[in-house]
Amino acid sequence: MIRQFELVLSLLVTLIVMVLGIAILGFGRGTGYILHGWVIAGFSAWGAMYLVNHLSDPAPVIPLEYKDNVIKWGVLACFVWGVIGFTVGDIIAWQLAVPALNGDMWWSNFGRIRPVHTTAVIFGFGGNALIATSFYVVQRTSRARLASETAPWLVFAGYNLFVFLAVTGYPMGITQSKEYAEPEWYADLILLFTWVTYLWLYMATLARRAEPHIYVANWYYLGFIVVIAMLHVVNNLAVPVSIAYPKSYPLFAGVQDAMTQWWYGHNAVGFLLTAGFLGMMYYFLPKAAGRPIYSYRMSILGFWGITFLYLWAGSHHLHYTALPDWVQYLGMTMSIILLVPSWGSVFNGLLTLNGAWDKVRTDPAIRFMMVAVLFYGVATFEGSFLAIRPVNTLSHYTDWTVGHVHAGALGWVAFITFGAMYKMVPWIWKREGTYSLRLEAWHFWLALSGTLIYVGAMWNSGITQSLMWQTYEPSGAFTYAFIDTVDAMRPYYTARAIGGFLYLLGALIGAYNIYMTVNGPRVEAKDTDARPLAQPAE
Amino acid sequence: MKPELDETSGQHTTGHEWNGIKELNTPMPKAFSIWLWLSIAVAVLLWLLYPAWPYVTHYTGGILGYSSRIAVTEQVEAGRAQRAETFAPFETMDVAELAEMPNLRETYEPAISVLFRDNCAACHGRDAVGQINFPNLTDDHWLWSGTPEEIEYTLQVGINSSHDDTRYAEMPAFGLNEMLEQPEIKDVIEYVLQISGQEHDAAKAQAGETVFVDNCESCHNEGGIGELENGAPSLIDGAWIYGGTRESLAETLKYGRAGVMPHWSDRLSASEIRQLTLYLLWAGQDGNGD
Repeated sequence: MIRQFELVLSLLVTLIVMVLGIAILGFGRGTGYILHGWVIAGFSAWGAMYLVNHLSDPAPVIPLEYKDNVIKWGVLACFVWGVIGFTVGDIIAWQLAVPALNGDMWWSNFGRIRPVHTTAVIFGFGGNALIATSFYVVQRTSRARLASETAPWLVFAGYNLFVFLAVTGYPMGITQSKEYAEPEWYADLILLFTWVTYLWLYMATLARRAEPHIYVANWYYLGFIVVIAMLHVVNNLAVPVSIAYPKSYPLFAGVQDAMTQWWYGHNAVGFLLTAGFLGMMYYFLPKAAGRPIYSYRMSILGFWGITFLYLWAGSHHLHYTALPDWVQYLGMTMSIILLVPSWGSVFNGLLTLNGAWDKVRTDPAIRFMMVAVLFYGVATFEGSFLAIRPVNTLSHYTDWTVGHVHAGALGWVAFITFGAMYKMVPWIWKREGTYSLRLEAWHFWLALSGTLIYVGAMWNSGITQSLMWQTYEPSGAFTYAFIDTVDAMRPYYTARAIGGFLYLLGALIGAYNIYMTVNGPRVEAKDTDARPLAQPAE
Repeated sequence: MKPELDETSGQHTTGHEWNGIKELNTPMPKAFSIWLWLSIAVAVLLWLLYPAWPYVTHYTGGILGYSSRIAVTEQVEAGRAQRAETFAPFETMDVAELAEMPNLRETYEPAISVLFRDNCAACHGRDAVGQINFPNLTDDHWLWSGTPEEIEYTLQVGINSSHDDTRYAEMPAFGLNEMLEQPEIKDVIEYVLQISGQEHDAAKAQAGETVFVDNCESCHNEGGIGELENGAPSLIDGAWIYGGTRESLAETLKYGRAGVMPHWSDRLSASEIRQLTLYLLWAGQDGNGD
């Protein structure tokens, strides 16, 4: 009965999305928008057909094991988007060093390609990694199979449809120009359906748990899902011009719009790129190291500190703007306190390795996770530091911000993901281990040197350009013209592009290693394999 | 499950276990508690000193009475006052007087070159020699005269700009608007090639001369020597803005030209416009004068 209800509800949602797609392809103007209509309609029609065909099937026997097949697809999507995102990122890095490399085509300039990079890495790579690992972790730590057989597929498919629409829209000019929230209203609606399903699925699975307590990793994953739902809805409140065009106008205007945007932008960092990946750390690090979490109390301090404080801190992105002073100071002070719970998580992660530090030397996956935590520490210290208004006068609008973001994204987010993937892939595909530890180590060292070159170059260029902008002659005239500061950036931009290339190279080796692992021999299932406990109703 | 002792750390676990993961009941390190309360104290101090908390109709203003709007206004004003003092000659004298002043160049040129690079170089190049579609400012070939006053006026009102008093000059689209027949256009191109001393078809150029006299001379002057009154360029001096080849001339005649120079009177101060005027006069002194 519940299964029927679920199928009908899924069918209904799929049909609504299909109608949206048909309306777009029917009424739409403009090639890109109409193509998106076809993609949405075709994709959801296929889903609807599948659901209709299985509507009258007899209820399948759900095996008493974890539902891992959707996770395998999540791993695939994560690596595909990762490689796309890193490649595009390095292309635009070279474009900044050598502007002619954009080929002088209307769709290939920096402004259109840059969001392809950010969306592919944050939402394509990071988002899929979070969805996949959250499904893995919630089942193991709850000893319960995912609460639905259909919903995980809806989440996976809807989410990747959203990322696909976003990434293909930008080069054709379909964007609402809000950083990290560029997709237009129709893509946002699809993500909304997807995300509500995700939230329900996650909570329903937790509700079925056979453990008395909810593990800390699940607090973080749930925090990530709840807050992203809230941010996505509020920041994308917009009125479409008509069904014929992708264009929409945001509900807020002026400084309110800017504040909403950076409340969104900062907490996308705080809850997607931080809380979600802390959830990943809290499961895969102790699991891989075979050590207990250092301190339950630090977990509590970290989680509630981060959850409470992040939501206040967005205004530090708008220091010295038209935003009222009181909002700026409130954001700045909350950012200062925020460092304490952030470093609480850092120490909790690092000290968990007490008694297992030898594994950092022998196991590249653990080394990835350990260095990830270090970079998390660096990036959060830097974040709180840059949020202080006088410091911000030096750093704002410079490449330092870019360096800061990449210390977090390359060093923390992607490192913890790679570490977790090297552990999770053999576990879900039932392999002895990864294909090659040597390649894992190569990946690690390439990624580390790439990150250090990248971040080092951006620190230098950011501080250099800021000081050049602020240098005056005794007469009160500028010492440097803006173009002089652009000239001075060139060596750093070249270095950054080289660092990015090393990082990309490492990721390609990683993807190959994962591919070979999946292709490798399967180990026999053992009776001691972790399984869910039978549900009372089943 | 009961809490158990972890040998490595000497701490007890909390007694929870998830998929083999346990937690230690390690108390919060003292340093962390101190740091947390210290951070909160710093925040409270800042809340007292600066604007911070909103209430229904207003917000707490802070003991220091700080306002970033007032602070930035004061700084901008101080900078303006300082530059008025250091660039005093440009504040008070007109450009003709300034052009006569000795020693001005070595004192002010480096600073003004920054102003030029920030505002003019995007079109005219960092060394002011122009590029395709944008004229060279270092030579002797001027569209609207190279006297100090006229250069200053161009800077103020622009050319084909949105300023009410803008200088206005437009080459009509003779081809697109069918003002001339195709053979006439071909002929007049050969004539222009002839008067500019380039390889040309003499027979066509002769026919082209009549076309030129009837259609082009009113702006470009007799023999195509240009006219400073209406900004029509000389066609014989080899200083081409849009190119002087047969192909570029064909394009110019077909589509017309109406290059835009923005007006700067809203964006730069009168003193800055005078500085840039002088900067161009100085740049012209270095040129080989052709």
